Amino acid sequence: MASKVVDLRSDTVTKPSEAMRAAMAAADVDDDVVGVDPTAQRFQAEMAALMGKEAALFVPSGTMGNLISVLVHCDVRGSEVILGDNSHIHVYENGGISTIGGVHPKTVRNNPDGTMDLDKIVAAIRHQDLHYPTTRLICLENTQGNCGGKCLSVEYTDKVGEIAKNHGLKLHIDGARIFNASVALGVPVDRLVKAADSVSVCLSKGLGAPVGSVIVGSKAFIGKAKILRKTLGGGMRQVGVLCAAAHVAVRDTLGKLADDHRKAKVLADSASVETNMVCPLDHLFDPLKFYYVIVLCVTYMCFIRYSLISWIHEYHLTCYAKSWNSTMCVQCQRVQKGEVPFSYCRKAVEELLKGGSNLEHLTNGAAKSSYGH
Amino acid sequence: MRAAMAAADVDDDVRGVDPTAHRFQAEMAALMGKEAALFVPSGTMGNLISVLVHCDVRGSEAILGDNSHIHLYENGGISTIGGVHPRAVRNNPDGTMDVDEIVAAIRHPDLHCPTTRLICLENTHGNSGGRCLSVEYTDKIGEIARSHGLKLHIDGARIFNASVALGVPVDRLVKAADSVSVCLSKGLGAPIGSVIVGSKVFIDKAKILRKTLGGGMRQVGVLCAAAHVAVRDTVGKLADDHRKAKSLADGLNKIGQFAVDSATVQTNMVFLDIVDSRISSDKLCQVLKKHNVLANPSSFTSVRLVLHYQISDNDVQYALTCFEKAVEELLLGGTRLESLVDGTTENLMGTSQI
Repeated sequence: MASKVVDLRSDTVTKPSEAMRAAMAAADVDDDVVGVDPTAQRFQAEMAALMGKEAALFVPSGTMGNLISVLVHCDVRGSEVILGDNSHIHVYENGGISTIGGVHPKTVRNNPDGTMDLDKIVAAIRHQDLHYPTTRLICLENTQGNCGGKCLSVEYTDKVGEIAKNHGLKLHIDGARIFNASVALGVPVDRLVKAADSVSVCLSKGLGAPVGSVIVGSKAFIGKAKILRKTLGGGMRQVGVLCAAAHVAVRDTLGKLADDHRKAKVLADSASVETNMVCPLDHLFDPLKFYYVIVLCVTYMCFIRYSLISWIHEYHLTCYAKSWNSTMCVQCQRVQKGEVPFSYCRKAVEELLKGGSNLEHLTNGAAKSSYGH
Repeated sequence: MRAAMAAADVDDDVRGVDPTAHRFQAEMAALMGKEAALFVPSGTMGNLISVLVHCDVRGSEAILGDNSHIHLYENGGISTIGGVHPRAVRNNPDGTMDVDEIVAAIRHPDLHCPTTRLICLENTHGNSGGRCLSVEYTDKIGEIARSHGLKLHIDGARIFNASVALGVPVDRLVKAADSVSVCLSKGLGAPIGSVIVGSKVFIDKAKILRKTLGGGMRQVGVLCAAAHVAVRDTVGKLADDHRKAKSLADGLNKIGQFAVDSATVQTNMVFLDIVDSRISSDKLCQVLKKHNVLANPSSFTSVRLVLHYQISDNDVQYALTCFEKAVEELLLGGTRLESLVDGTTENLMGTSQI
């Protein structure tokens, strides 16, 4: 008997919908490297307009979106970029801006709400000195993933944009989940990113497309980005097949993000939840006892569970095998509020807190991370 | 391909759990006779990753042809992105590099010198007109690489064309190579992608570099599904592309203003030389475009023509009549041609050739 798995690890596991699959199969395509794929052109124009920028460029991943953006803004050797010490670019992108792009990072502490203190950002900007690289860029991340999907307000973003402008710097927003921020804040996405010179937006996360991100910015910026994309090997041929799915993602799933936020709030039962991520650590765990963060992400397609502790994995599997007999990830859209056993998560946590002999076989550090390690 | 894409069983490939990607990569590794394979968004990334993994120590140098795709058409990425220094050796018209020139290019340890770590070959060799490197030549270069402690990478964008034209199984053809980059989106017809093949250790490093460069795609099975169909259905059609290329070449040779060295037409490419100085390649391509025949100049006096399975025999015949008409129009001159201007034909990348 097949049992349902509620996968709360991340929103990257979203699979393409039927509408996306149909769109991919029917896409009108041509060679995008030569610049003639009509579906890619249409989609890029749509995204540029949506984000309030002059142009857009489809790329295979958010990592490449950020890498290209940083490298284009910092195309002069000896550049430095200011970014959060807990930001995705700094922590989870293989240090590519340095190892690949030769750009030096200057980290500023991320507050729990995802922001960096304005005075600390200003203090990090280099003055001209024989010993110093040249600061050229500030990067923000909205929503801020490691802080639990926290939103940077439009006021904060504008303020950082002003700082950048006053110091002759550019501002890039890692907006992998920018639509979540826009929806949660009730601010139109183009207004939210108005202060930014460039934004990288993921289509393959909560929006559900199979592959890809989009960079938006000025025509001049995108012109350079296109060349760098080719250089990095991101120039794909009949890419309209992917842009067709991405278009459907934007069309169909944006309107469902508010629901993901609602579900996350129900799961956490906490005011600290702003978008589609839940960090129950704050109010459930004794920080001295536990060294792990449990981050639960909820999307419209499936509930995703991520854990560094093997017991929670085991516990949920046992429960779900008894309660569900539908196949993995297919029934999620029909899960109604009240049917989903949010209480199971809390039960699992409470059991760990109680301890006992049924947990003796569990070993810390044995659970795989999201990347299979 | 479209049906396969729509029906593909997918999951998050960055987490290593996309079943279609797994299946396809295993299939390609087996086909090419290597331990493992990795799907990448483009041939450029396939070559970039391969060079950078083989040359992961700072101060490395790679030997490659002065007329090779990696050296000319990949934005110098191995250097600008990877910090690897190129050592270009002259490509012969047949796509090879002289063996003694390759050996001479290998650096000895010296305070002034980077360290040679890699030799790159290209098979088929594009700029030479899709010429094939024989298995004997490839083996010889492999031997040189091995005896000097170097790796051998083959830019095998069109390696299947070479295999078919030479009548050598593809795994035998690339046996001497430590890595090969194979395109699926060219003559094989898939919408996107290439595959790198090599040892497990090599592919593991390649996977990390692919992520670093931004080539880690999520539900990439949608693309691997199409690529699988491409390999299954189109490899068998390549011989036909070669036949059509020869047919095109023969037809062009009958036009006095053109010359094609038929002996050099080995696979799916034809390089057409214009021997009448009254005709420029640029204007020829512009006139052809009016007849719905698309071609790109490869120099002021030559045009590159590439065949694939979506060009029929009738299309070839039609193209030949258009070439004849175009020549006539250009030689007669007249008001119809006043709009044509040299230097305005867009090259492959949509930018002016000159």
